[in-house]
Amino acid sequence: MRHIVFVAGLMAGQMLFAQSIDRAEALWRAGDFDGANNEFKALIARYPTNADYRVRWGQLFKERFNPEEAANLFGEALAINPKQAQALLGLAEIAEEHFDPKANEYAKQALEADPKLYQAHEVMALGALEDDNRKLAGDEAGEALKINPDALEATAIKASLDLLEDRESPWVTKIGNRGKGYETIAHLFEINRRYEEAITYYRKAISATPDLWTAHSELGITLMRMAREDEARKELELAYDNHYRDKPTVNTLRLMDSYSRFVTFKTPTTVLKLNAKEADLLRPYVQAEVEKAMATYEKKYQFKMPVPLQLEVYPDHGDFEVRTMGMPGIGGILGVTFNNVIAMDSPSGRPPGSFHWASTLWHEMSHAYVLMITNEHVPRWFTEGLSVHEETAINKDWGDRLIPDVIAAIRDKKLLPVATIDRGFMHPSYPQQVIVSYFQAGKMCDFISEKWGEGKLLDIVHAFAKSTPTVDVIKQQLGMEPEAFDKEFLAYIDKEYGKTVAGFEDWTKGVRGMNQAMKDQKYDEVIAKGREIEGLYTDYVENGNVYDFVAEACLKKNDTKCAIDELGRYSTIGGRDPDTVKKYAKLLEDAGRKKEAAAALERLNYIYPQDMELHKRLGALALDLGNTSEGIREFQAVIDMHPIDEADSHYNLARAYKAAGRNDQAREEAVLSLEAAPNFKPAQKLLLEVSGESGK
Amino acid sequence: MGCSLKPFWLALILAANASAASYFLTVAGLGGEPDYEQRFSMLASDVDKILRTGPQNDKYVETLKGADATKVKMEAALNKIASQAKPEDAFVLMMIGHGTFDGTDYKFNLPGPDISGTELANLLNKIQAGRQLVVDMTSASGAVASVLKKENRTVITATRSGTEKNAVVFSRFWVEAMRDAAADVDKNEIVSALEAFQYAERKTADFYKEQKRLATEHPQVDDQQRASAFPLLRYGSASAVINDPAKKALVAKKEDLENRIDALKYQKSLMAPADYTKQLTALLLELSRVQAEIDK
Repeated sequence: MRHIVFVAGLMAGQMLFAQSIDRAEALWRAGDFDGANNEFKALIARYPTNADYRVRWGQLFKERFNPEEAANLFGEALAINPKQAQALLGLAEIAEEHFDPKANEYAKQALEADPKLYQAHEVMALGALEDDNRKLAGDEAGEALKINPDALEATAIKASLDLLEDRESPWVTKIGNRGKGYETIAHLFEINRRYEEAITYYRKAISATPDLWTAHSELGITLMRMAREDEARKELELAYDNHYRDKPTVNTLRLMDSYSRFVTFKTPTTVLKLNAKEADLLRPYVQAEVEKAMATYEKKYQFKMPVPLQLEVYPDHGDFEVRTMGMPGIGGILGVTFNNVIAMDSPSGRPPGSFHWASTLWHEMSHAYVLMITNEHVPRWFTEGLSVHEETAINKDWGDRLIPDVIAAIRDKKLLPVATIDRGFMHPSYPQQVIVSYFQAGKMCDFISEKWGEGKLLDIVHAFAKSTPTVDVIKQQLGMEPEAFDKEFLAYIDKEYGKTVAGFEDWTKGVRGMNQAMKDQKYDEVIAKGREIEGLYTDYVENGNVYDFVAEACLKKNDTKCAIDELGRYSTIGGRDPDTVKKYAKLLEDAGRKKEAAAALERLNYIYPQDMELHKRLGALALDLGNTSEGIREFQAVIDMHPIDEADSHYNLARAYKAAGRNDQAREEAVLSLEAAPNFKPAQKLLLEVSGESGK
Repeated sequence: MGCSLKPFWLALILAANASAASYFLTVAGLGGEPDYEQRFSMLASDVDKILRTGPQNDKYVETLKGADATKVKMEAALNKIASQAKPEDAFVLMMIGHGTFDGTDYKFNLPGPDISGTELANLLNKIQAGRQLVVDMTSASGAVASVLKKENRTVITATRSGTEKNAVVFSRFWVEAMRDAAADVDKNEIVSALEAFQYAERKTADFYKEQKRLATEHPQVDDQQRASAFPLLRYGSASAVINDPAKKALVAKKEDLENRIDALKYQKSLMAPADYTKQLTALLLELSRVQAEIDK
């Protein structure tokens, strides 16, 4: 009796299984994702050791924008069956989508578990192509096609290999009406920063498969990046309305909604998009810097922008991040360029002193020129390197300073050969590798400039414009093998930074010693120790830097000159803490060195202009020095920050106008001052003076 | 706000000033750790120094800090003021430090026993001074606002409720307002309680914005109009001029112009901008001429 019941129970269970997995799949196909999810959940509860069900459930999560949960389920499946090939493939695909170098490892394991799993070859081909390793990409795609001659991703990768080198490709016709294949080509154009071609292929994808919502979304995002907002919104809303609501789609739509809070300023050559709450303050500084950079680059690159350059400045870093979603190797970046469109953080979006906005602007504008000159045919390493080079070319104290992570990378010999440096950006193998790669690429351009002359950099830009690979460009333009270039470059690095790398431990110990000596009020010891070690690592200007310690010790000893000298070194080397720089300026001003004080404060306008005290002090210094135009700009900046003391602020601006001989504007400002405080005597006196009544 | 009312209130203040005295009690409570201890004492010392600047004949200043800032001494100081202050006088209590709120009672943390909001209210209610200002610059101080509320008393707190429990920065900027001429936005050489509050409130908000931190304090003032009429600090020669009989006619003319300017500003939104500016400029020019005559 019990046996019969058991058999009946087993049969019922099998029937339920059949119904459940079929139903889960059917609901999924019908677009009832919640229903399918519930079915999978029930299945897993009933069959907790079934790895296959977990994999299918994971694939559902992966498709429905939850890669974290998908990866968890693939991991659970592998805990049950370490050879579950589809779970390994799923992990490889997720890693690949996030530009994680583990993708290759998972793909290889998937192939060991199932040598016929051609999709694993496709994952490896895609990763290789993203690394610009075109040979490997072709080989892997070839392997996939041997297993399945119809393999779509492999076909698209083969096509991309030709198209990226500006050749017609027979593989394109093999894609036929399968939109997903064109979408892959578009994606590869996009990560190579060839946005117009990406747009063309996303459109082809949609034309072949109109309900390919991923392509609608990607097209919308790419159009948004290119500032084609109306078209972008149409595509994104279409995807959204058809239940394709992944984070990039939703966040991009939200970002576009936020544009109502922005104001746009147009000139014949520029479009400036600033948040209304800081537009008045930032515009004069940003507009002037954009125009200065354009004039410099036009001359240097011998190229005139054929379209206006658009700059968007985001005070909310979250908004800026939406602009960069899905792009490889850009974690923690401050600006991004899409041809002639630049998006960047506002200085107000970062803690004071942590961000040099003008340096970032010049960096991004170099990209804009290089992308336009090369028709987007430039490897990542070179365009980044040139941009980093330009930051310090315009001003030595701009750009990034040498950070401990880079010192460690040099010490541990982690700098990459020039032939493969792009991997450091695209598929970093350790957390700081992108930052290290920026440094290395910048230094490579410095090295080229110093050895072959600045003009050689432009020659290289033009060589890349002809789709020449990096290895060939090095050979043709520098007349040496890439390996020889690497050797000379490392010698250059050693010459410049060998002392810092070798002395880093001593410097660290020295700073600790100074800290203790400071606590013990042994100021002579602090100064002596500081002088001894500051040459070991001159670039360190962050918290706990040697310059601060020494200057503080000097002040404790009432030795102002000593403090001024030390803070002067801090400022010259690129120290950016606003409080420290303002302290330096005050010491200079008190010592009667007003011109230098003004120059010190001027640097802060490029770092953190959202500082009312800065503008007030700089304005006063400018007037004292007879620099009325700067005085007007600075006192206007105070007003643009909506000061508490309106009367004094308008009065100062009136003084500046009066000094410039612009009495009508001086009178207007005096009236505004007195409107806020009718009994403000200095403004009353000034109003009488500019009204011609001073003698009455 | 309150622009059109200011000359009227100012006149009242200045008229009262002739015979009235101002009582100031500043208390820096328990820091709990050396850094806060030092910071609170330093702020109290700064306030003390600012208040003791200038003529002292109408000013009574007492400051409790460090080990002296006990409940017993604070009660004694308040009782002493209660025994001396008259209805025409002004009284200012400034509290710097940590406060707590358990959902029922607010307490100002002092060395030894704390003082509760109710105890404080009872002590303050004994003081006869007709104009009172309490500036409670502690964490959780928002909880005490309703307890201290009284018709002739302006209450300023560093937080909007008892649930804002983190140490505050408002006190730092309140003291800065007492030092910085920029706080006197109408340039009448008097920093009113409202001007000091608005200065410190703005600086507090800017502090959190600049530090990219979520603001954990939201300063409050219970009555802006009353605060605008409360002179926290006077400097310059504004009051001396009023008492000069030789210049009474000019002063009267000046007051008339001030009233006309206020009336015009009140009409601003109803006027064509050019017309408003023209009339305002003419009045301001006239006021400037009169002031120049007074200052001769």
